[in-house]
Amino acid sequence: MLDGSFSTVGVIAIVLMFISLVILLGPIFARGFGAFVFKGTVEYRKLMLDKFGRGDRERIIAEVAGAAKTREPVYELMEQFRVELKEKDYDYRSRYGQPFKELEELVEDLFGPAPGSSMPVLVRGQYGQTRWDRANVKLGNILFIEEYDYSDSSKMGELVLVPRADLFAGTSLEPLFRLLESDIEKMMRPRTTVYWRFLFDGSYDSHFFGGIWPELLGTFYLAIGAMLFAVPLGVITAIYLAEYAGDSRFVSLLRTCISSLAGVPSIVFGLFGLAFFINAIHVSPSKSVLAGSFTLALLVLPTVIRASEEAIKAVPRSYKEGAMSLGAGKWRTVVTVILPAALPGILTSIIISLGRAAGETAPIIFTAAVSVGKPLALWETMSQPTPALPWNIYNLATEHEAVDEIRHVQYGMVVTLIVLVLLLNITAIVLRARISKKLRG
Amino acid sequence: MNNDIGELRKPEIRGPDRSPDRTGSIITAKDFSVYYWKKAAVSEVSFDIPARQVTAIIGPSGCGKSTFLRAINRMNDLIPGCTTSGLLSLGGQDLYSSKVDVVSLRKMVGMVFQKPNPFPKSIFDNVAYGPRIHGARDRGALSNIVRRSLERAALWDEVKGRLSDNALGLSGGQQQRLCIARAIAVEPKILLMDEPASALDPQSTSRIEDLIGELRREYTIVIVTHNMQQAARVSDMTAFFYEGDLIEFGETTQIFTNPTEKRTEDYITGRFG
Amino acid sequence: MPDVIKTADSERLRDGLLMSKGALRMQSVGALAGRSILIAIASSSLIAILFIFYFIIRDALPFFQIEGIREFLTSTRWYPSREEAEFGALAIFFGSALVTLGAVVVAVPMGVLAALCLSDILPFSIRQVVKPVIEMLAAIPSVVYGFFALVVFAPLMQERGGSMLAAGAWIIFAPLAVLATAVLSDLLSSRLDGKARLVSQIVSVALVGGLFLAGLLRMHGFLVGLTIVSGTNALNVSIILGIMALPTIVSVSEDALNAVGRDLREGSYALGATRAETLLRVVVPAARSGIMAAVILGVMRAIGETMVVWMASGNAARIPGPWFNFLEPIRTLTATIAGDMGEADHVTGSARYHVLFVMALCLLMFAFISNLASEIILRRARKRGSV
Ligand SMILES: Nc1ncnc2c1ncn2[C@@H]1O[C@H](COP(=O)(O)OP(=O)(O)O)[C@@H](O)[C@H]1O
Ligand SMILES: [Mg+2]
Repeated sequence: MLDGSFSTVGVIAIVLMFISLVILLGPIFARGFGAFVFKGTVEYRKLMLDKFGRGDRERIIAEVAGAAKTREPVYELMEQFRVELKEKDYDYRSRYGQPFKELEELVEDLFGPAPGSSMPVLVRGQYGQTRWDRANVKLGNILFIEEYDYSDSSKMGELVLVPRADLFAGTSLEPLFRLLESDIEKMMRPRTTVYWRFLFDGSYDSHFFGGIWPELLGTFYLAIGAMLFAVPLGVITAIYLAEYAGDSRFVSLLRTCISSLAGVPSIVFGLFGLAFFINAIHVSPSKSVLAGSFTLALLVLPTVIRASEEAIKAVPRSYKEGAMSLGAGKWRTVVTVILPAALPGILTSIIISLGRAAGETAPIIFTAAVSVGKPLALWETMSQPTPALPWNIYNLATEHEAVDEIRHVQYGMVVTLIVLVLLLNITAIVLRARISKKLRG
Repeated sequence: MNNDIGELRKPEIRGPDRSPDRTGSIITAKDFSVYYWKKAAVSEVSFDIPARQVTAIIGPSGCGKSTFLRAINRMNDLIPGCTTSGLLSLGGQDLYSSKVDVVSLRKMVGMVFQKPNPFPKSIFDNVAYGPRIHGARDRGALSNIVRRSLERAALWDEVKGRLSDNALGLSGGQQQRLCIARAIAVEPKILLMDEPASALDPQSTSRIEDLIGELRREYTIVIVTHNMQQAARVSDMTAFFYEGDLIEFGETTQIFTNPTEKRTEDYITGRFG
Repeated sequence: MPDVIKTADSERLRDGLLMSKGALRMQSVGALAGRSILIAIASSSLIAILFIFYFIIRDALPFFQIEGIREFLTSTRWYPSREEAEFGALAIFFGSALVTLGAVVVAVPMGVLAALCLSDILPFSIRQVVKPVIEMLAAIPSVVYGFFALVVFAPLMQERGGSMLAAGAWIIFAPLAVLATAVLSDLLSSRLDGKARLVSQIVSVALVGGLFLAGLLRMHGFLVGLTIVSGTNALNVSIILGIMALPTIVSVSEDALNAVGRDLREGSYALGATRAETLLRVVVPAARSGIMAAVILGVMRAIGETMVVWMASGNAARIPGPWFNFLEPIRTLTATIAGDMGEADHVTGSARYHVLFVMALCLLMFAFISNLASEIILRRARKRGSV
């Protein structure tokens, strides 16, 4: 019985681990998918035409006109009420003035600026809701008012939805709500849209519209830059440790340093990067991709060293003996025989470290990352900071002015980052499996 | 081990010429010892290995055969704690003098290992490896060298169509012949072979043995083996090692038919080992 | 034996072997230079560690000159941006400790059990599947965990916190209770024989099991009744940090368990011990140093983590009341550094800037010491011959 329960508990622990992975990735993948495939409204197609020049111009203009036509009754009702409001007495005005203004704003939120009104400066104000799911949320805000019911003092306030139509009951505006509810599809024209260019588009108005190219590119720059510094250092150190170092004091000190470096919290790397690369030796006047790459390189260095050393040590001794018996010197043997044989293993470690560098946030907060920025040209990486996926996920999820409005962008970024990192890791796993197969026979 | 001496072929006198330097000794050991961390693995052996003949070293496992062989091209330098004393000379030059260039030594003394160890590269690159590190760059010259080496190693006909294939795809016997080709591609004077056929099947073994018969025209060959029929078949001279000591050294016919030492006789008749 | 016959051939041989004095010197100089360059490059990690310590300490020291250390360590009042700035970091230290403790409670039992399962219980083919899952858990970037904690987990906790907690508690504690019952009843009746043993086993299972069941039911009642005011709290962060520390704990302790020799296990089986007995009495004790090192590394992972705590801990710099109340928001050292440096950045030289380096120094020292400790433990174990 002890035996059985023991096994069961162990298996449960493993199953729990599986479950946590599924719980973690499930919702993220499900919703992240929505950044790429969703129901786009007519506003989306208008935006794409205006800002990116995409789509069939004639058709979209016709569609926009058609949608505008179906929206006309809404604006007519509102205009009528506006006139009515002006004519009525003070009481009436003070009763409906504020609610009507609120309604006007909500409608603008849903449909974009009313015909004839002036164009807002911010891009987010120039268009209505581009996504059908968001449009429905906005419609809900028009149709219902959220109120909290505090009548039961023993509990927290409970949310109740009050139809906004009740507010305007008996006025000329009352039909508006039924009209919106029934005709919203005609007014917004949702259609299933595949937006794969989400990855390669720049963003408009701090991610209200558009894609994540600057972030993606910044992540590439940072990760690859980090590897440019970490790989030579790491592989040469690994060669030293595996082929040259004996068992001296110095070597064991070196090993201790490597494991200590691996244990340094990532935020401390960030502070160090700020204090050293930027404030002390001024690799760039302020944050830059270069400084961030240096910092990330230090962070992944131990991983590269350890994995490369293992890969080098796994090369059969007989190769080395063969080369030396032909008169090759030690360094020559390393370069011409050992490294090529260890290359797949070293590559595995590089790929894993690449994923690690791409996903780290804390080290780049003070050294490389900004919230909003253009995609950088290669030479600009020496001196300019960049947006990057991990940092912007944090930023959009916590510090953005309209966190709830751009959930799809946040999820899209998260999914992109996860897919990137997992693809790298799966490549590494497959590569490693093939190496071990080869080594076995 | 089957030790039916009657089956042993008497080594015939091979090769038409016995030029003067064939009879001269090329490697001389005098009170030569090798130690691993002060423990002697080879102790005070003295004998001369003749040029352009096949010298076999036999003896029970662990008696220091490989250690002695690896001392000749200083492969033991790689092993931490390995030191030598006494004299081991090649062409009269003390090999352990500080003036000796190990790279030139190893170029002059090729080695074939017990387990075939081709590099995980193409067949061509394997053979061209040695010439390349000694400075050959010209593609045409390299091709010639590769071809000639493979021909001499009796492998050319089998691989000529697929020189760019990975060497690890060859069979064990082919791999070992490739290693021989790789060793002779740098034109050594001496070939050391450490049980070159012990990991191979009988058919490959006999091909390797035939090959050794061919190569002895041009090279001095020192072969370690624990297979006594093999030693008798391929060698001109035989040295019997036992626990680090050289017990007996002489012509193979003499060693196998009329050993002077009791222990040699015991060993080759299979009383131990 | 005849002397060496010096022929023209051997003359040539000899010349080929020797090196001129110049070449010899060149070679040794070259080798020395190469080796020095190699060592210089290989020392980059050593230099990096020294530089990290130097620059963190250099920017931390001014804080002690400006503000001293007393307030920092004893007060819980953290108002760095006020006119009359106050730098009491006690609550922040406490927050770090609390979530680390929480993460340990979540990760260690699960991680060690999973490692045991991987090394001794599951067949090889299943291990091949589980390993990549663990690697994936380790590979997922921390900001993704943070995002999940903030956007998915926190609202969920806020909405149906009580029932969720109860379910979680059942999942974790019910198997543990069963296991504990089994172990206890086994221990209680190990001295007895035959019928008496059976009776004693049944009685003890009923007793101990009943006790555990009652405890679990009470816990359930308590948890279901809870309302969680804010989903961004110490519990949320602890759970997520625990999951993040799992891969480290599993893989390091699995290595330790695997290093316990087959012969030790077989010896135990030969004496008639069951698998569970073998694991508990032989394998785990033999691997305990390795498991200890795994736990230390897991703790390091949890305490050094930034993004999750920054995003989902609530960032309130005060000690929860009562102190073990995991449902209140807390604030950690890492999150304070990340959050405050943005504002302190352009006031380089102020106490506000330097205090963050003091915190970084504390983290660094902690990581360094833990790392040394785990290394020493492992090294000693290796010397004893049982990792
Ligand atoms: N690298 C080494 N370190 C220490 N001792 C060694 C090493 N290689 C071989 N020996 C010892 O030296 C002796 C001779 O070994 P070896 O020359 O390999 O024997 P053989 O090739 O005749 O079987 C053996 O006792 C062996 O244990
Ligand atoms: Mg041997």
